[in-house]
Amino acid sequence: MAVVTDTALPLSAPMLGADVEAHPVQRYRIRVGMFAWMLHRLTGLALVGYLVIHIWGLKSITNPAAYNALIASYHGPLYKVGEFLLLGAVVYHALNGMRIVLIDFMGWSPNQQKLFWTLGAVAAVLFAVGGYPSIAALVDYFSH
Amino acid sequence: MATTYGKGSQSSAVQWFAHRITGTFLVFLLITHFWVQHYSRVTASVSHSVISADGAHAGELPEYSEEAEAAVRAARTRTGGPQPERSRAVTVAFQGERSDGTAPGPTHPPAETDAITPYDVLMLRLGDPVYAVLWKGFNLLFLLFALHHGFYGLNNIMTDYIRNDLLRAGASALSWTIALVLFVIGAYAVIVAGL
Repeated sequence: MAVVTDTALPLSAPMLGADVEAHPVQRYRIRVGMFAWMLHRLTGLALVGYLVIHIWGLKSITNPAAYNALIASYHGPLYKVGEFLLLGAVVYHALNGMRIVLIDFMGWSPNQQKLFWTLGAVAAVLFAVGGYPSIAALVDYFSH
Repeated sequence: MATTYGKGSQSSAVQWFAHRITGTFLVFLLITHFWVQHYSRVTASVSHSVISADGAHAGELPEYSEEAEAAVRAARTRTGGPQPERSRAVTVAFQGERSDGTAPGPTHPPAETDAITPYDVLMLRLGDPVYAVLWKGFNLLFLLFALHHGFYGLNNIMTDYIRNDLLRAGASALSWTIALVLFVIGAYAVIVAGL
């Protein structure tokens, strides 16, 4: 993916020597492609954090009572909101990742606007359809 | 560049390629995982019911569909366990003694009660006499791919932003150690579940 930084360095290139002294903190010029790349990294970091917690919780499947208590806690209202956000992070990260893979392996242009918006539409549908049960359950819970 | 992929000691082309491969596979693994754990009316142990903190503390369990109830009933018939009688707003005491004087816990799991529990639903896959091996294999593959993909991505980010060589090497070693520990924990849990 083409990335433009304020130091005009290529993608992910570390700043060295005088650049580091002039710009101790990495700064980016925000454009659509850049925003997509940053969001990909942010959702990736969030998913790694979730992965650590999720696998740590997996220990409970060796103990029925602990597993039941864990799953019951996963049905709390806050967790349902978190589940919805998790779905959003997963859908975005997965589809933008597929876009990167298609660009890398199929030789498609990073500026493929049709690909970007097609995957965006697919993401919106997946987010709406997949997230509907969680939101509907929350609305039902709070309306009774 | 293409002719030197994987040859130099500094090349990370194999890891880069593996990141794409694990990412692509993870899409399909995630679709399966989400389906069986969140959306299938039979096997989803995380249902779409909502339980308050007080309810969870009191031992309230999620509601499951009639299809899940029927599947658990069939599984209990095979193993000779008690048949489920309730399918809505199930509450199981996790602490204290039951009316028969036995204490719930690992030696008296809720699966021995008449209620459908999340563990019962989970065991439809991981305790199945035929398909458990396939589901455990699926989960191990999922675990391996997710950890490699996640922690390789994390290392990419750390490489970009940590400019001190020693600190970067230390952070990388620590992150891969955490990934290894998580893999051991997850793999052990998946393998012994239902045995």
